[in-house]
Amino acid sequence: MTISANWYLLLAAVLFCFGLVGVVSRRNILVVFMCVELMLNAANLTFLTFARQQGTMNGHAIAFFVIAVAAAEAAVGLAIVIAVFRTRGTLWMDEVSTLKN
Amino acid sequence: MADRAELWIFLLFAIPLVIAAAGVVAARNPVNAAMSLVAAFFFLAGIYVLLVAHLVAFLQILVYAGAIMVVFLFVIMLLQLHDQDMQDAKLKAMQWGGIIGASGVLTVVALAIQQAGEIHWKAVPESFGTVKAVGMLLFTQYLLPFEATSLLLLVAIVGAVVVAKQRI
Amino acid sequence: MPTVSSQDVLALAPVAILALGGIALLLSEVFLTSGKRGYQAFLTVLFAATAGLTAFGATPGKVFAGQATADAFSAFVTITVSFGLALAALVSASWLDARGAERGEFYALSLFAASGMSLLGMASDLLVAFVAIEIMSLSTYALAAWMRRGKKPAEAAFKYFILGAFSSALLLYGTSLVFGATGSTLLSDVARGPLQAGGSALLSAGLVLVAAGLAFKVAAVPFHVWTPDVYEGAPTPVTAFMAAGVKTAAFAILARTVLAAYAATGGAADSAFPRVLAVLALLTMLVGNLFAVPQRSVKRMLAYSSIAHAGYLLLGVLAAGLPAVRERALSGVLFYLASYTASAIGAFAVVGALESNGQPGDEPADAWDLERLAGLSRRRPLLAFAMTVFMLSLAGVPPTAGFVAKLLVFQAAVGAQYLALAVVGVLTSALGAYYYLRVVVYMYMRPAAEGEPAGVTSPVLSVALAVAVAAVVVLGIGSEPVASLARAAAAVVR
Repeated sequence: MTISANWYLLLAAVLFCFGLVGVVSRRNILVVFMCVELMLNAANLTFLTFARQQGTMNGHAIAFFVIAVAAAEAAVGLAIVIAVFRTRGTLWMDEVSTLKN
Repeated sequence: MADRAELWIFLLFAIPLVIAAAGVVAARNPVNAAMSLVAAFFFLAGIYVLLVAHLVAFLQILVYAGAIMVVFLFVIMLLQLHDQDMQDAKLKAMQWGGIIGASGVLTVVALAIQQAGEIHWKAVPESFGTVKAVGMLLFTQYLLPFEATSLLLLVAIVGAVVVAKQRI
Repeated sequence: MPTVSSQDVLALAPVAILALGGIALLLSEVFLTSGKRGYQAFLTVLFAATAGLTAFGATPGKVFAGQATADAFSAFVTITVSFGLALAALVSASWLDARGAERGEFYALSLFAASGMSLLGMASDLLVAFVAIEIMSLSTYALAAWMRRGKKPAEAAFKYFILGAFSSALLLYGTSLVFGATGSTLLSDVARGPLQAGGSALLSAGLVLVAAGLAFKVAAVPFHVWTPDVYEGAPTPVTAFMAAGVKTAAFAILARTVLAAYAATGGAADSAFPRVLAVLALLTMLVGNLFAVPQRSVKRMLAYSSIAHAGYLLLGVLAAGLPAVRERALSGVLFYLASYTASAIGAFAVVGALESNGQPGDEPADAWDLERLAGLSRRRPLLAFAMTVFMLSLAGVPPTAGFVAKLLVFQAAVGAQYLALAVVGVLTSALGAYYYLRVVVYMYMRPAAEGEPAGVTSPVLSVALAVAVAAVVVLGIGSEPVASLARAAAAVVR
């Protein structure tokens, strides 16, 4: 018995939702960013599962681009994190916020 | 016995993967979160191998677990972060909101997957997921996003330098 | 095996020109011998104009195996984006120069962002759209963090980044589900619907996630929370460019995606998709306008107004679902985007000119307060006149561009039987007139505070404002040439 694609898809959905919970509930900018990476990986897992299921390699090419985009995002994102830390001395979202109504 | 092999290998990678992912969300200390994320990426690479995506599994470890996470850890070390308590009423509310929202999304997606029925595999050719086959695809059918990605990487370099530079 | 033809390469010419312009501006900083940087803005305008003209002459057709489409629609988007880029570059030149922060990298990033926007206007594949959105977004994140000496730009960039990355992740996961249901990321394949009967739920879930990701980019309620903070915190010329350019490009891909989604889920009438979109449009119109009313800060008011305008644009996209009015609705949306580009950049330019000239980010809390506009008609009559024109256009008062744009969109909404939404649109526009005209009242009827500085202007800024005023008035009085261009653009999108 080979297991069906549903298992992989469910695993990806679980990963995506873990990332979602983290983005909404964590207050540390770096950890929030890591949770976004988790969500991107869930998308990658879904792409690869469907690629295997449909017998085409398009999903593999897409996963390649996602990894490249994640690297680019990490470069700019971490630069912004450093910039925020320099001006505020903290990475906690609530302490960072001064822009209010 | 051999039929069950895929299920066992799947579980062998999937269960630690879920635990590691939970670790990213729950860890108090950013360093622990980052280490959990590295572990999650490794187990995910194992799952990719099960899906006959050898090249992507390789890239996952090389680029994601290797390069991107090292940058994360580097920034954590650079900024000398320390963990803080998160015992705030507003925070609790947001956590519950996040859990409820995420379980809503999970239910919808799970139902959609369920409705699609048992999704079975198609037979794949011998060359599936190899560097050569994926490379051919990248430079023919996916040439436009490939070139666009090169521009994206240039933007990322310029953007990172501009943002992190001391003074403008 | 697909091969690349010369048509493929030529179709991408506007994107390539903007990207090469960015590289040229980067190199200009390397070979700079004197501190004079005045030519950089002109180079940017030159590249923008070239890209716009090239887009005009492009041969229509699908290129790169259908992943991108060069047609009148993409040309209209590219021209609008290039126009916005040129205006924003001129505004930035005087604003940055006054603060000693003018650098080639700034214009380079603006050009890269514009090339991403132009690619987004052409994209007819969700993966290409994803990469193009990232090009656009990464450049604007970095631009929002320009001049980090103050606290606000860093904070604006960080908020923009976190929510932007989050929305990209939503978009990507949605794309992966769509890919699973239809076996492709091409919008033309998505429009054919799911491969198997059981895949329709998967497709709907995926499309909703894609739409949610795009709703973040266009700042639709309830995905709008980042907008006021980011628009207020970012340097004013960057806000102007973000408001106009990002909105134009994001609405272009949203329109293409929504049309594919309509086709995939079987017509507009009997699926949940239009209903969700209608609720989104309603909330966006209401929240944007209602929250703009109490704002004392003009910059923040303009941020909420940008949300409100996203609501009217969503109404147009919604109406485009009905094939009978599709052409009218889409042409209305395109005309609206062009008119909003001119009005919003102009309004932000005036706000930027009146900002205090000290350390940005450390301004007092009332840096953009209405009081700073008091008595402007006596201090700077021309500036006050320009601001009046922009406010009238944003409010939708004839004979300005904003009036024609709103008229076109509301007509299309009525034609598509969205009567209630059109009425809400008209009523919220009337509400909008209150807070836009309040600015005019302050400029003309309140005396100026003692020692209020006159604000910075330079010849470059005057040119930019004159062009923006001319565009608003010409689009309002002689709207026919641009409207017919928009109709031609809308006719090719199916």
